[in-house]
Amino acid sequence: MAARRLYRRSPRLDRRTVRRIAFYLLLIAVAALFIGPFLILVSSAVKPATQDVFGFPPDLIPRPPVLDWFREAWTAIPYARFLLNSVIYVGITVPVYLVVSALTAYPLARIAFRGRGLFFLLFLSIMFLPGELMLIPRYLVMGQLGLTDTFASVILPAILSSLGIFLLRQAFSQIPDEIVEAARVDGANEFAIFWRIAVPIVAPTLAVLAILGFVSVWNSFIWPLVTLTSQSKFPIALGIAYLSGVSGTDVRGLAAGTVLSLIPVVVVFLLLQKRILNSMGGAVKG
Amino acid sequence: MAVAGRGSLKGRVVGQRWYTPYLFLVPGLLLYAGMFAWPAVIAIQLAFSDYDIVNPIRWSGLDNFTRLVHDPRAWIALRNSLLFVVMFLPLTVVAPLFLALLVNVKLRAIQAFRMLYYLPVITSMVAVAVAWKYVFNREGVVNWLLQLAGLGPIDFLFDRHWALPTVVLLEAWKNAGLFMMIYLAGLQAVPAEHVEAAEIDGANRWQRLWHVIVPALRPTFAVTLILSMLEAMRAFESVYVLTRGGPLDSTLTLGYYIWSKAFEDYDMGYASSVGLVLWAIMIVLALVNLAITRRKDA
Repeated sequence: MAARRLYRRSPRLDRRTVRRIAFYLLLIAVAALFIGPFLILVSSAVKPATQDVFGFPPDLIPRPPVLDWFREAWTAIPYARFLLNSVIYVGITVPVYLVVSALTAYPLARIAFRGRGLFFLLFLSIMFLPGELMLIPRYLVMGQLGLTDTFASVILPAILSSLGIFLLRQAFSQIPDEIVEAARVDGANEFAIFWRIAVPIVAPTLAVLAILGFVSVWNSFIWPLVTLTSQSKFPIALGIAYLSGVSGTDVRGLAAGTVLSLIPVVVVFLLLQKRILNSMGGAVKG
Repeated sequence: MAVAGRGSLKGRVVGQRWYTPYLFLVPGLLLYAGMFAWPAVIAIQLAFSDYDIVNPIRWSGLDNFTRLVHDPRAWIALRNSLLFVVMFLPLTVVAPLFLALLVNVKLRAIQAFRMLYYLPVITSMVAVAVAWKYVFNREGVVNWLLQLAGLGPIDFLFDRHWALPTVVLLEAWKNAGLFMMIYLAGLQAVPAEHVEAAEIDGANRWQRLWHVIVPALRPTFAVTLILSMLEAMRAFESVYVLTRGGPLDSTLTLGYYIWSKAFEDYDMGYASSVGLVLWAIMIVLALVNLAITRRKDA
């Protein structure tokens, strides 16, 4: 009724509505491209044993949805152990990463000293030493340090990144001089200025780096694969690869385990998406 | 050095010693030395040595590199990596621009769509590779669609012609959201007056894109181009999880070849020499990219 009245009054408005609907349909079609594989994964994870995972035409609606495969994934492999390991890796790496990045970036931004430009270039050069090419030499260095197959060997290489230093240097250098000068006049030493004044001011940048750090540590796979030999120290991504090895043909259990591994990172993303998306636009990854 | 530093700094800043900034840098420098500098030195040393983990490292001069030149699998890996770049660039440098144009509108729900497109970026390569195995399975959804179109079925991951394109597609799909956000930042820096002026002059959508937006995005293209090339050259995790270099070496990239030589054959010296070559290629690509974008700016 209302639509018809609208149409009579203004045919232009109607055309605009049609175009708007078409635009939304396009957005949804593209979205299907990006979340479709995840939906298929979830559907496979909750399908009862009596229903084909594959087949023509694809039968994506589980009848009825079951949670058996999550239980199986949980018990077939030390899933809880992998999960706990990942929590430990993130819990140690991210705070240390933030502190070290801030300590390194602060003098590069705020203190005039000899060799400042050179030190900055040095830390930027990390960008040209990609992890994939460091696998072999780092493996040997961990051997020399006696750290092979330890939690430390997973954590240490993840602490320093050029992106963290770069972004924090930007943030520190934007702090107004008057604030720092006022603290100096009050007799604060440089470390007190750093910790009590500068760090709280750059908290938004630290938050962004914390999220990026969480995502990257949670997803880390290849370096732990190289350095770890005991299954009891595997992070979750490595655990999933392990699950796909042991369960072989059990496509539902593998899907369930993979869905479980995605949940924490997706939850964090949903809670903090605005911050993540805004930061990624500005900060090109290093 | 110390005297000059002290002199110039003490005059300006009260309560600050000449060594204060260096104290701040100590943890970062220690980590840099242990996790980057020292490994880099070892990588170079290994490239000119024989090392199999059991026996001590033995200097072997240029042997690894002469071996490399005569190693057919190394050439296959190089060819595959270059093919990877060629297929990858249009998917990550061009396609995400259209994605960014699509979401560069003012709609209440647009943030939700950006988020959905970004989802693969934050998930682990292992997880998305598992998801892709369901989608590109012989009995998966893609083959069903092909069948509806009267094509296929294709064994995407087990056919030596299709395996590499499938891995490239996975990498492009996983990174599309990131490149979209980079373009979105670039688009939002394009002056709206320029686009409006072109519109008033009667330029249609494509003309505005080609003559106004694309030239304004030049710095952004420089960034996406180099990111994309480096990403393609070092592609490894996707290969590891999806195909393990197979079938018949059709997805054997330089990155995967290095890993397999080092950690399957324990041929660490040789693997490092391949790594050094890959390193050199990546640095050359970065420099070429820098030179091209510099020249265009001038």
